[in-house]
Amino acid sequence: MEEIVNENVSATDLKKYESVYLEQQRRGHVSEKTQFDYALCLVRSKYEEDKYKGVSLLMDLLRSSSDNQSMRDYYFFIAIAYTRLKLYEKALDYVEPIFKIEPSNRQAKELKAYIKKKLKTDGLIGMAVVGGAALALGGVVAATIAAIRK
Amino acid sequence: MEEHEILTTLKILIIGESGVGKSSLLLRFTDDTFDPEQAATIGVDFKVKTLTVDGNKTKLAIWDTAGQERFRTLTPSYYRGAQGVILVYDVSSKQSFNKLDAWLNELETFATKQDMVKMLVGNKIDRNNHEVSKEEGLKFARKHHMLFIEASAKTNDGVQCAFEELVEKIIQTPGLWETSGKTIRPGQGGGDAYQGQSCYCVI
Repeated sequence: MEEIVNENVSATDLKKYESVYLEQQRRGHVSEKTQFDYALCLVRSKYEEDKYKGVSLLMDLLRSSSDNQSMRDYYFFIAIAYTRLKLYEKALDYVEPIFKIEPSNRQAKELKAYIKKKLKTDGLIGMAVVGGAALALGGVVAATIAAIRK
Repeated sequence: MEEHEILTTLKILIIGESGVGKSSLLLRFTDDTFDPEQAATIGVDFKVKTLTVDGNKTKLAIWDTAGQERFRTLTPSYYRGAQGVILVYDVSSKQSFNKLDAWLNELETFATKQDMVKMLVGNKIDRNNHEVSKEEGLKFARKHHMLFIEASAKTNDGVQCAFEELVEKIIQTPGLWETSGKTIRPGQGGGDAYQGQSCYCVI
């Protein structure tokens, strides 16, 4: 799952599908396919701003869709985007609905496991950072006390 | 320790029409499982497996692409750098066989390695209602310089063989792969369990 999550879109692809999208927008109607293609590029972009834009395009598709298969795909790529943004709790919110559509979807299960693992390790790193800061602060306090006592 | 023994990492791609059993072949090969209700792949899936062929230990990075039309714009971006491709059709679906030309065209357009090794797999031979004969598959494979095998992910027929033959051919193709270690033994060696297998892949 790591490879899927970390895979970046090529600049050429992003540009190509962006221009199709913009062209259709100019003409007044963007097809589902065009919006989906562009969104899949955006969520795989290395820029944070693009990923958020991809999420909003997929959310928009999600609102207007009633087809289970399509909705499953939208949920999955929103979850991928949030995972890439390291917003793991939010990512989990979008993995769960996939199980309502396909209870034993393997890719969704693997993504969920990956996010849970990330939540755990990032939590540990956070604790280590806080712990390290506390230790450093303790050292400063001890040194200050020692200096005062002199 | 383990890492040092790996000769090279190979990028393998699985393509073909929706529902022909690409993911099932992959999961049979990597996890030895089979799910008759396998859901349609979302975008692309990825698995890693080490495989020893002729005494050479290789790491396979396998990209399993969605066959559905709606992902047709996404999947070609995964073709880049692939050294081997497994093109799958369903022997009980003439339609999936008729689409092979289109898949080869797409491969030619997006693959970056000119001499990549191609393997044609006719899946679902466990079924009774064959619409594509073995001869037809073989003829197509010969015409397009591909390896060929009929297989069943369900009964585990020919699956291991398909991957082994593909990797063997890649290893035998100079310039297609780069060594990541020092233990180069292309051709002969090892004397592993590989010998004695009844593969019938042909070019």
